[in-house]
Amino acid sequence: MLEKNSKRLQNGLFLFFGALLFLSVPASAQFHPKATDWPSYAADLAGTRYRPLDQINAANFSDLEIAWRIKTDNFGDRPEYKLEGTPLMVNGTLYATAGSRRAVIALDPATGELLWIHGEHEGKRGGAAPRQLSGRGLAYWSDGKDERILYVTPGFRLICLDAKTGVPIPSFGNSGEVDLKRNDDQDIFPDLITGEIGIQSAPVVAKDTVIIGAAFREGMTPRSMRNNKGYVRGFDVRTGKRLWIFHTIPKKGEFGYDTWEKGSAEYTGNTGVWTQVTVDEQLGLIYLPVETPTSDFYGGHRPGNNLFGESLVCVDLKTGERKWHFQLVHHPLWDMDISSAPILADITVDGKPVKAVAQPTKQGFLYVFDRVTGKPVWPMPERPVEVGNVPGETYSPTQPIPTKPRAYSRNGVSIEDLIDFTPALRDRAKEIASKYHLGPVYTPPSVSKLDTTLGTLTMGTASGGTNWPGGSYDPETHNVYVYACNSCIEPIGLVAAPKEVSDIAYIAGTAGREVEILKGPGENAGADSPKPPKKPSGGGFTRMDVDGLILVKPPYGTITAINLDSGEFVWQIAHGETPDVVRSHPALKGLNIPRTGQTTYNIGTLVTKTLVIAGEGNVTTTADHPRGAMLRAYDKMTGKEVGAVYMPAPQTGSPMTYMVNGKQYIVVAVSGGPYSGEYIAYTLPSAGE
Amino acid sequence: MKYPLAILAFAALATPLRRQVPDASLRSVWDGVYTEEQAKRGESIYKKECAACHGDMLTGGESAPPLTGGAFLANWNGLTMGDLFDRIRKTMPQSAPGRLTRQQDADILAFMLSINKFPAGKTELYKQSEMLKEIRFESAKPSPKK
Repeated sequence: MLEKNSKRLQNGLFLFFGALLFLSVPASAQFHPKATDWPSYAADLAGTRYRPLDQINAANFSDLEIAWRIKTDNFGDRPEYKLEGTPLMVNGTLYATAGSRRAVIALDPATGELLWIHGEHEGKRGGAAPRQLSGRGLAYWSDGKDERILYVTPGFRLICLDAKTGVPIPSFGNSGEVDLKRNDDQDIFPDLITGEIGIQSAPVVAKDTVIIGAAFREGMTPRSMRNNKGYVRGFDVRTGKRLWIFHTIPKKGEFGYDTWEKGSAEYTGNTGVWTQVTVDEQLGLIYLPVETPTSDFYGGHRPGNNLFGESLVCVDLKTGERKWHFQLVHHPLWDMDISSAPILADITVDGKPVKAVAQPTKQGFLYVFDRVTGKPVWPMPERPVEVGNVPGETYSPTQPIPTKPRAYSRNGVSIEDLIDFTPALRDRAKEIASKYHLGPVYTPPSVSKLDTTLGTLTMGTASGGTNWPGGSYDPETHNVYVYACNSCIEPIGLVAAPKEVSDIAYIAGTAGREVEILKGPGENAGADSPKPPKKPSGGGFTRMDVDGLILVKPPYGTITAINLDSGEFVWQIAHGETPDVVRSHPALKGLNIPRTGQTTYNIGTLVTKTLVIAGEGNVTTTADHPRGAMLRAYDKMTGKEVGAVYMPAPQTGSPMTYMVNGKQYIVVAVSGGPYSGEYIAYTLPSAGE
Repeated sequence: MKYPLAILAFAALATPLRRQVPDASLRSVWDGVYTEEQAKRGESIYKKECAACHGDMLTGGESAPPLTGGAFLANWNGLTMGDLFDRIRKTMPQSAPGRLTRQQDADILAFMLSINKFPAGKTELYKQSEMLKEIRFESAKPSPKK
């Protein structure tokens, strides 16, 4: 049925180019990725986003020029404006996902010339997918002879291509594909075409095993407490055969089943691993960052702690069996999905070597564990947290709070956080905040009411903090570098859900803007019909700014360097130009405001021999550059900015780097607003220019 | 009267060029460019078509950008309502872009303006892209004109 809808985009001409590439690969070599390549999404399986390259450095970063660029508009039936991919560069070819089709493209890494393209036409199944567009990337595998590219389509099919030609590998699965909606220890409902499950992250291949998680629609206002479950599976990279499965919601008889009271493990869904996984090939261990169970902000239908929701789970690479786990948030209520790749780091704490795993989070804590045993490197005691009063909800009275490192971004809202540029602005910010319940991290969501509070004002929840781009790690300094939004305010109010909308008791909403069921033509519209209650559009909605100024004090977004040997900050800077609205605001005239950084939550960092590199997420127009955004470089030891180069649109995919023909390149995905997706490659001008 | 051909060709080129750079004399979103009624219609459509991804409070999610707040206001600041309208027309709703009518898209835009606390006025927001390009998106309220 599906195969009938599938139509592969292939072009015989590309085979010719593929054959040329084949000639350049040493036939007898075993595959050992070079330090000058970028062979997996996060540079390596340890999630470091680090390459020891230094041709591009503090002295010349600002001289970078565009080597090549490729718009992704034509890799799908419409342009996309949210290009989030990070390409790979291996063995002299650059690979990326691109466009609204999530096509795979192979390019010459020095010139950007298109070598081959592969796309899957999935018809209704693609159109119904919960995670569409080009996704975050793909995986490369080689045994030294065969070279393969693996990616997951929007319609949730794992595709295996010959890296040299882009042609599907016939011996893998069913003619090059594995239907991920099948053989998943559950029946995907309602059917294989529209059944909600997919993924947008890049697959990971470790020791011949392909690891695939799952993602769903946003979970703020789900239609039901029932949903498909996000299990994690391992597949044989040669055959596509399923090797193992890990049940992120335990089945009856499995460890953790009893943390779902009243049988709620049976019907609750989601709880997937939608972001990047990390692998220690030497230890044979996988680190799985698990998301929130069904219904982001209301857990009344899933009493209990809900393992393995919002847990870091370590499983065996060969069998998928659980080795250890640590639940970061018990009975999740804040959409604190573990949203990015765990980072592996070999560190020295109090004179003792530790094989560690460090997990950046939306809530701004960097959780650091011994990755062999799962024991926290620094204590994470259970501390009492506020218990709420939403009808039917159950609350965990405590949550684990890391004692070290301290939180690197705001994860609650207090009056102290509100802007203080001038007393008048502060008063207005206080007035807005007074309509909400405030508190520190883990202050629970509240029912939205017009006469008391409209909800709980939070930070470090759904957006973060650190979201999917995650952090970087420098094995030389033992520093983690991590971007975080420090001003992404999220009001979380709950309203009773009408039965026609959802079978969940409470969903996200605002008093005065209760969910309306659309009526049929003429219904309740005749004379003497009851008149609808009069209410203003927007109801209790409050804009979270004062005359365009963010409600909270700068810095709005930061990059923090955290040393993992000591658990201390090395430096923290505001990342991003001060927004136009702040620089030109009449109420701020005459004030000396240091760079504020920007309010955005999707910025990934890259670390090299000497630099930390990250683009901006907001557009600005300044005396130094036209409307656009800057790709910035910082001295990794001090955080001091050492260079910047112009981009026509914000960074939307994390930057990567590689060397080819003796030149270093940096590739970054930009898009957003009216600017459709584009990969841009920067390099230094040739000598003599 | 005959004009030299070159001047005609220049005039033909000049118009689209000028439109690409919104000038300060255009109306802006602060000038009451939609009505309350239109925003209410837009709210119903938004809830059905947009809220699942962009959120009830327009704060976005992991897969959908916010439609209010710092990044949204910064990234559209200085552009026009036509640019925003075209973006919606081309790409939304994600499962079936272009399924909504231009009127529905304009209504959703009116709702987004109301949520972002731009003032309502007496005339509805246009539903033609070219006309919407005459309305500048300004994130901060401009100083009163003298």
